[in-house]
Amino acid sequence: MEFRRIEEAVFKVLMIFSLLIVVGSLLAVIGIILWKGLPVLSIDMLTKTAEGGYYFGKGGGILNAIIGSLYLALGGTILAFFLSIGIAFYLQKEYSGGTRLSNLTRLCLDILWGTPSIVYGAFGFTVLMYFQMRASLIAGIIVLALLELPIMTRAMEEVIKTVPLELKEVSYSLGATRLETTLRVVSKQALPGLMTGVLIAFGRGIGDAASILFTAGYTDRIPTSLFDATASLPLAIFFQLGTPFPAVQQKAYASAVILLVIILAISITTRLLSRKYTKYIIK
Amino acid sequence: MSETHIQIDNVNAYYSGNHALKNISVQIPKKQITAIIGPSGCGKSTLLKCMNRLIDLTDEITYSGKILIDGENVFDKKTDIINIRKKMGLLAQKPTPLPMSIYENIAYGPRIHGLRKKPDLDNIVEKYLKLVGLWEEVKDRLNSPASNLSIGQQQRLCLARGLAVEPEIILCDEPTSALDPVSSQHIEQQLLKLKEDYTIVIVTHNIHQAMRLADYVVHLYLGELVEHGTANEVFENPKEERTRAYINGTFIPEYTIDTEVNLKGNECPYNFIYAKQALHKLGKGKILKVIVDYPTAVTEVPRGMEADGHNVLRVKQINESDWEILIRKN
Repeated sequence: MEFRRIEEAVFKVLMIFSLLIVVGSLLAVIGIILWKGLPVLSIDMLTKTAEGGYYFGKGGGILNAIIGSLYLALGGTILAFFLSIGIAFYLQKEYSGGTRLSNLTRLCLDILWGTPSIVYGAFGFTVLMYFQMRASLIAGIIVLALLELPIMTRAMEEVIKTVPLELKEVSYSLGATRLETTLRVVSKQALPGLMTGVLIAFGRGIGDAASILFTAGYTDRIPTSLFDATASLPLAIFFQLGTPFPAVQQKAYASAVILLVIILAISITTRLLSRKYTKYIIK
Repeated sequence: MSETHIQIDNVNAYYSGNHALKNISVQIPKKQITAIIGPSGCGKSTLLKCMNRLIDLTDEITYSGKILIDGENVFDKKTDIINIRKKMGLLAQKPTPLPMSIYENIAYGPRIHGLRKKPDLDNIVEKYLKLVGLWEEVKDRLNSPASNLSIGQQQRLCLARGLAVEPEIILCDEPTSALDPVSSQHIEQQLLKLKEDYTIVIVTHNIHQAMRLADYVVHLYLGELVEHGTANEVFENPKEERTRAYINGTFIPEYTIDTEVNLKGNECPYNFIYAKQALHKLGKGKILKVIVDYPTAVTEVPRGMEADGHNVLRVKQINESDWEILIRKN
C-alpha cells in the first residue's frame, strides 16, 4: 500500500516537471524575443521598406518582408485550404468507402507531413529551374501550400471524423445528398476544428524559411505581381541575424516580435469572427 | 387487414458475418402504427434502418431480399434513394437537432428539396411546429440554437423536422427511450394523432408502449421473425411461446426447470460447451436453466442453442450482472 502511494507521488512530480519545462520554454522564448526586440522596434521598421545597405546598418524597415510574408502565407493557406477541404471531405466513409485508396492517401499525407521543409524548397527550386523561371511570389505560395496541405488535411479529417453519425443520419433521412450533408451539416458541426486546422497550417506556413528560400527569393521591394520575387519575415530574421553588426542583429528580434504578433492577431480575429457560427454546434 | 404500405420480402442482413436478420418477410399496413418489439440486439433497429437504407452508413454490412414501398424496391441500387428517404421521416432514439437554429432545423428539409422563398418556409416552420405543439414554446426564439431546447422539446422538434418534408411514413427508433415520462407521453399522443395521415413504424423494447400504440405487431428475436399480426392477436393470444414469454416480461411463465447450471465466471466458448453438456444429459422436452454473467454469452449461448435446434424460451436479466437463459431440449 505504502509503495503505491509513493509511486503515485513520484509520477505526479514527474508530470508537473514536464509541464513546467513546456510552459517555461514557451515563456522563455516569448520573453527573450520581447526583451531583445521591443526596445528596437520602431515605426520605421513597420512602415518602410529596406533601403539599400539596410543589412549593413542603414535606414529603412522591413515592410517588404511583412507584406511578403502575409502574401505568401495567406496565399499558401488559401490554396492549401481548397485542396485540403476536398481531400478531408472525401476521406469520409460515404465517399471513399473507407477503402485502400483512403488509407494510401493518409499514408502519403503523413509522409509529406514528416518531410523537412528544405526538401520542399529544393523540389520547388528544381521545378523552377526546369521551367527556366525565377524565384517568385507564386512559386513561394505553391510550395507553402504543399507544405501546409498535409497538416491541414490531417487536422481537418480528424475533426470531421468526430461529427456524430446520428447527425449525418438525420440529414440523409430527410433526403439530403452526400454533398448537402457535408456542406450544410458536417462542415457546420466541424467548423471550430476545421478552423484550428487552418490556423495551425497558417502558423507553420508563415514561419517557414527553408521552403521559400529558393522559391520566393528575397528582395527589398514589395512585390507588385505574382511573378515578382518577394521578401519574407523568417528570411528577414535569418539575414539580419547573419550580419556581423549588433544593431542589425537586434532588429532581427524586433522582426520576430512582428511575426509573433501577426500569428496571434490572425488566430484571435478568426476565432472572434467565427463565434457567430459556432453557437449552433451540438455538444 | 388494411392495405399494405411496406412489403418486406425475405430480408437478410449480416454485420461482418453475423447474421443479424434472418429471412424476414412481413407486410406493414398503411396508416396504422406497427410496433417492432423484441429484446435488445434482436435486429429491430437494423430492420428499421433497412427501410430507408440508412444501413448503408454502417460498416461491413451486407443485405439481401426486397423491401417494396409503393412498388419500388428500396434495396435496388437503381432506385433513387433520395426520394425513398424523403417519403420516410425518421425519429431517432436520441433527439438529434442539427447544428442550426430552431427555424433552420425545420427549414433544412424543405430547403434541400428546392423550396427557397422565405414566406413559404415561414409557413412550413409555423405549421409543423404547431402540429407537434412546440410553436407556443419557441415562437419568440426561432433563431436561437436548437441545442438550447430541453430534451423533450428537441424530440418534438425532430418530429416536426421529419414531417416538414411531407413524408408518407414515419420511422421511430425507440423515440422515447431518452425522454422523461411527460415528454414520452407527449410524443406518444402525437403519434396516435399522426396515424390518421401517416404510416408509422415504431421500434420499441417497451412492451407497454407497444400495447398503448400499436395496431400491428412484429416480434423479432435474435434476428428471426417470431410472430406478427394485429395487436389484438399478438397481445391477447400469441401463437408462439416466445412471444408470450416476452410480452409477459416480468411475471414469469411457469416452466418446470429440470436442471439448473450456474456458469457465472465462465467465458465463451466454455459457457456454451458446459450448457451443451448439461443439455445432453436431459431428455427431450426437458428444460435447462443456465445462469451466465459474461456479456457475450447472453447473446451467443441462445444463438448457439437455437442453431442446434433447441428452443430458447427466455433470456432475462435477473440482477445487475447475471442473466438467466431457459432452453428446452428438442
